[in-house]
Amino acid sequence: MDQEQLIRQIMAEVMTSLGKDGVTFQKKSPAAAGTIGRDQYPLGEKMPDKVKSATGKVLSDFSLEKLKNGELTAEDFRIAPETLEMQAQVAESVDRESLARNMRRAAELIAVPDDQLLIIYNSLRPYRSTKAELYGIADELEKKYKCTVNAAFIREAADVYEKRGRLKAD
Amino acid sequence: MAMNSPNDPKPSIRVEGGKVVELDGKQRADFDMIDTFIADYGIRLENAEAVSKMDSLDLARKLVDINVSRADVVKLTTSMTPAKITEVVGTMTVLEMMMAVAKMRARLTPANQCHVTNLKDNPVQIAADAAEGSLRGFAEEETTVGIGRYAPFNAMSIMVGAQVGRPGILTQCAVEEATELNLGMRGFTAYAETVSVYGTEAVFMDGDDTPWSKAFLASCYASRGLKMRFTSGTGSEVQMGYAEGKSMLYLESRCIYITKAAGSQGIQNGSVSCVGVPAAVPGGIRAILAENLIAMALDLECASSNDQTFTHSDLRRVARSLMQFVPGTDFICSGYSSTPNYDNMFAGSNWDADDYDDWLIIQRDLKIDGGLVPVLEADVVAVRNKAARALQAVFKNLGLTEITDAEVEAATYARGSEDMPVRNVVEDLKSAEDMMKRGTTGVDIVKALSKGGFEDVADAVFGMLKQRVAGDYLQTSAILTRNFEVISAVNQPNDYHGPQTGYQISDERWEILKNIRQAISPESI
Repeated sequence: MDQEQLIRQIMAEVMTSLGKDGVTFQKKSPAAAGTIGRDQYPLGEKMPDKVKSATGKVLSDFSLEKLKNGELTAEDFRIAPETLEMQAQVAESVDRESLARNMRRAAELIAVPDDQLLIIYNSLRPYRSTKAELYGIADELEKKYKCTVNAAFIREAADVYEKRGRLKAD
Repeated sequence: MAMNSPNDPKPSIRVEGGKVVELDGKQRADFDMIDTFIADYGIRLENAEAVSKMDSLDLARKLVDINVSRADVVKLTTSMTPAKITEVVGTMTVLEMMMAVAKMRARLTPANQCHVTNLKDNPVQIAADAAEGSLRGFAEEETTVGIGRYAPFNAMSIMVGAQVGRPGILTQCAVEEATELNLGMRGFTAYAETVSVYGTEAVFMDGDDTPWSKAFLASCYASRGLKMRFTSGTGSEVQMGYAEGKSMLYLESRCIYITKAAGSQGIQNGSVSCVGVPAAVPGGIRAILAENLIAMALDLECASSNDQTFTHSDLRRVARSLMQFVPGTDFICSGYSSTPNYDNMFAGSNWDADDYDDWLIIQRDLKIDGGLVPVLEADVVAVRNKAARALQAVFKNLGLTEITDAEVEAATYARGSEDMPVRNVVEDLKSAEDMMKRGTTGVDIVKALSKGGFEDVADAVFGMLKQRVAGDYLQTSAILTRNFEVISAVNQPNDYHGPQTGYQISDERWEILKNIRQAISPESI
């Protein structure tokens, strides 16, 4: 769905730049497609057997006993991309599109290690990076972790920083 | 000026090919970073041009009118530009704004948040105070540090203490952005709040961030299943020296739009730590209510400040708080100091531990629910003691510095850090650093609690960790019950539309709220 939306967005932009006005693409809402919405929420209470951690363990199988005997580790308490996608659909079902967008960016970032995320965040702060460095981060996110939405977001930031003089001097 | 400055831009928006080419009188070529971010992500464009042309007074009436539903208003407000919404609320009196807050607050049930800090960063006292805060009814608790390197201990102490007082309380530790995220990732905190945004580009740069870095940070939190809200407030741009001659409220409205655009579920606003600035100018307290209202109108969770102290006048500080206390907000204070003023490391709060009785009496006098409940001394002593002992066990089983029985005893009865024995700060900091290096996580805290015989507390912390797998509390205005049921603007949205609708104090709740301990029955005299 993410990629589809991205492609639609890119196509719309290309068409606009060709001077063809009025090109619209109806965005298909996943919630409308009969997936997850406010009725399934809270997911942890209403469908714990369908919610899995990033490590693939099912939420309804979680117990204190398993944590104590080492069957559950810290890694198991991490949210899965599929769960964040479901939460994004819940947000959309109550007309909170920007929150859903954030959740989809977040879903991509689950794969990125903690330290790496902190480094990228710091690189996005003003005067920290050159344009090439930010583009490099975007490329790496895209190639290594399939973070296409975040990569586009970071490239966009780099372009805005350049325009506003907020990049690190070369 | 607080509001209605003649220098504020006139509302306007022009959309071409799905892109905003003019926003509040500025052409796209002249956009600064904030304009660009808001134009590209922060406004619903389908009806934006039409709403911009609607009469602002007519829109303000819709905000107040009980016959226009919250959902219908949100469709309009989320299509407005920052200048437009500023103009709309600029036509309203505080009374009308309070009516609008009653309708526009996202979550049905109001709640409250407290600060748990102390001058010495004493972890045992933090745990005890946190437990008492939970018992008293706070849904969220926030700590911070005097010494930065104490952060891991403070975060751990407030979490353990809060879960002793009442399972399901969300806790946070307000420190520098990267450190705060790190603590969250480890499972030492459940949410973050001090993700600050600013209304002019120059101040944003001074704050060492950009809308893009903050939006990325928001996604980082969600990617680890952590709740998060942004923070902003009127007066920050004045205080930091680049207000561009605009009104405080217009600049704040830009902050709220950045928050919306970044996809944060909510915001802490209401001047917060800059309250001295709006409070010093005419209509300043009105502007604070107006910014809370804008946040709610944009369908965001609003932790509505009533936070940093701004006056020595008891009358003024109560009048200021009634603006949010009476209609109720997602978090009326953000937060209420759970300690005496001298221990509040957020520079003092408008309300503190010495005011608990007054807060409860005001609830009882006006029959309003400000989130707090009367407590018995014996219960307070019991949870304080248990929290201190639970933390003692955690420290012992994680191989940290010792918490002595004398400290447990002192924390049980302490009013503040003046009553606490002095700890060896150097040893504490070394121990905290070592713990971080070892990669200790929330899972280790659960094990340490269980090993120490605090099985129920271990279960509560385990319950908190589980929340991040489901992510239900990432939705707007989420809090947890003692059974870890999520209450948010998704499953319990505010549906106020006039008398006897929206949040109503149940008979059961009223019995609890009115039963203050100092009431005397006539028969006893």
